[in-house]
Amino acid sequence: MGTVDLDRCDPDFAKELARQPEAEKIKGCFTCRTCVAGCPMSAVDDAFNPARIIRMALYGMKKEILESPFIWLCSSCYTCQERCPQGVRITDFMTLLKNMAVREGHEPSGIKAQMDLTKGQGRIYPLDDFDNKKRKKAGLPVLPTSCTMIQELFPD
Amino acid sequence: MTDVGRHPGITLYTMSEVVDVKGYVGNFDVRILKKARYVDEKECTACGDCATVCPVIRPDEFNLGLSSRRAIYSPFPQAVPSAYVINVNECLGHNPVVCAKCKDACDKGCIDFHMSDQEIVENVGTIVVATGFEVYDPTEMDEYAYSRFENVLTSVEFERLINAGGPTKGELVRPTDRKPPRSIGFVQCVGSRSARKGGSYCSNTCCMNTVKSTLMLKEHYPDMEIKVFYIDMRAFGKGFEDLYTRSRRLGVRYVRGLPGTVEEDGRRGLRIAVENTTTGKLEMHDVDMMVLAVGMKPASKTRKLQEIMGLQLTPDGFFLEAHPKLQPVDAATRGVFYAGCAEGPKDIKESVTQASAAAARVIRLMHKGEITTEPITSMVIEEKCKACGKCAEVCPYNAITVDVKRKIPAAVNTAACAGCGTCAAECRFDAIIMNHFTDAQILEQSHAMLETEPHNKILVFACNWCSYAGADYAGVSRLQYPPNVRLIRTMCSGRVDEKFIWDGFKMRAPVILVSGCHIGDCHYIDANHWTEKRIRKVHKNMEKLGIRPERLQLEWISAAEGVRFAEVMKRMESLRQGVTLEEIDETVRILTST
Repeated sequence: MGTVDLDRCDPDFAKELARQPEAEKIKGCFTCRTCVAGCPMSAVDDAFNPARIIRMALYGMKKEILESPFIWLCSSCYTCQERCPQGVRITDFMTLLKNMAVREGHEPSGIKAQMDLTKGQGRIYPLDDFDNKKRKKAGLPVLPTSCTMIQELFPD
Repeated sequence: MTDVGRHPGITLYTMSEVVDVKGYVGNFDVRILKKARYVDEKECTACGDCATVCPVIRPDEFNLGLSSRRAIYSPFPQAVPSAYVINVNECLGHNPVVCAKCKDACDKGCIDFHMSDQEIVENVGTIVVATGFEVYDPTEMDEYAYSRFENVLTSVEFERLINAGGPTKGELVRPTDRKPPRSIGFVQCVGSRSARKGGSYCSNTCCMNTVKSTLMLKEHYPDMEIKVFYIDMRAFGKGFEDLYTRSRRLGVRYVRGLPGTVEEDGRRGLRIAVENTTTGKLEMHDVDMMVLAVGMKPASKTRKLQEIMGLQLTPDGFFLEAHPKLQPVDAATRGVFYAGCAEGPKDIKESVTQASAAAARVIRLMHKGEITTEPITSMVIEEKCKACGKCAEVCPYNAITVDVKRKIPAAVNTAACAGCGTCAAECRFDAIIMNHFTDAQILEQSHAMLETEPHNKILVFACNWCSYAGADYAGVSRLQYPPNVRLIRTMCSGRVDEKFIWDGFKMRAPVILVSGCHIGDCHYIDANHWTEKRIRKVHKNMEKLGIRPERLQLEWISAAEGVRFAEVMKRMESLRQGVTLEEIDETVRILTST
């Protein structure tokens, strides 16, 4: 645990969050830590700690959160959200933070690469003729190797 | 308990259910369904000969299935009356050919298979509601694995195991191997303080119950490793902090943090994952047994009883007292009182305190043999009465008699009149005076309120029992609502005469709210149905006249809905801001020209 430098915090961050439906109830958190104790991610990597992220958000540590790699560790299994006694939408809150981070240009390179792949050919794992050959052998229908239609979904 | 059973002045109905309650303070008629016991409770000496021959073996409910009983049994050794009972759904003996062994075994001949349910009507002066609570069932909280692992127990099951009169005679054993556990973990707030599972309230007793359990365990098994997982330990009562300190001093470990997962290891022990808030580290705790400190919830038939008796409930489902601070044992209905957990979660001491208070309140009412009633009753001016019969039609208490055919004017039975004022509001000839809530009095109030700056005011008619009490509740809860609200109290929303509304608009009121108890919760049986009808009529007329009907609102606000009261008032304020001075001028012009 490090020290919190309140001078470097953004007091408007909590207010900004309070306007988002996903973060409405984060002030209800009474740090019972049932979210952390049930989190499959926290069990293997203590860098990810939902309760700590909520606390950081309430302190207004905007920069530290949005630029951090740990918000991307959430696997969106919804265990914490299901169990939170105060009804905090923790998983939805993590998604909100991820979206905010992308908007501010802090997405990790891996995520960016995945996004570009999806945008370019409609798939993260591209199909080629070899795959279709295997599919044919298994009696499965052939799939198109590129799916450019998806580009229409992305604004320029 | 045995004293109650023996007392000559107390009639105890066990295995009975209240079916219906009619009447008023001093004269309640309570219909009771007394279920058949199939054993003569006066003759039975609870010798137990019958149970030894009974071939049916069932789980014992009192010990939560940790031991067994027969189909003829005594629920627990101290049960009152001290007589056996047959569970007829389990018994084989309806047909003596099949079994009837108990009947042969009973020397006194107490057993009678032909006994049937009885309906009894008791006339009583006052009623104390002490229907208790039920415990939360933790099955839905999958993280605690109550339904998956046998060594996860509720605090109630644990209590039976450690109780000297319990199935193990106080010897604590693990359900799986019947051996005393070497370590044990308690989880607090199971089904309490949760917005989603169980109650959102604190169940009040579980912290100290756990502390007591840890002390008992340390006394019997000093080497046992005991851990308590909690959010907040609430040791607020007299002597409680001492117990808590003693428990910690004896080596009980209190870990702040609620468990997230529980897994079973090879030896049927449990591995609990919990983040220790004080260190910020995820910890694994291995225990032999886990106890869930389950919370309290209202008794399952609370709602049914509430409907039968016309009482109110707080949003959490417990009974609502007449005033949270000044009348904590009274119901809003006169002659009805609360004691114990029916009113909210509480421990033994608080329950005894409240029950004693309820008894004192009952005595205060009963000892005189007569009561002073409210002078709020209606009165007919015979000269004005046209004997149309409307008042008799709307009276929820049938307190008014009128002969429409022979044109004999209406007459009010003041003993039966409860004072809602619906008759006075419905009388088209102004022939009924509602004492203490006369037309003149109410109009005078609204005139005074709208005397200065009427366009900035919100005129509200609130019924005494629900909406006005809701305003009170908003007040004691320190909720903010617009300060320009002006409340006029009537006993019932049914008292709000059409005339008051038109007069209000004439006096330049921008918006008017009529509020009362929710439909079905009316203190005057169903008087608010007439309010609803009347407002619908006024809305139609407003539309015809060219006045925006939205300016008259009808809302049901109960005494427990302080938050809702504040919200409705805020909504009224935004409605008010939408009414321009020109619109008010136009309304006044319309109303004065017609």
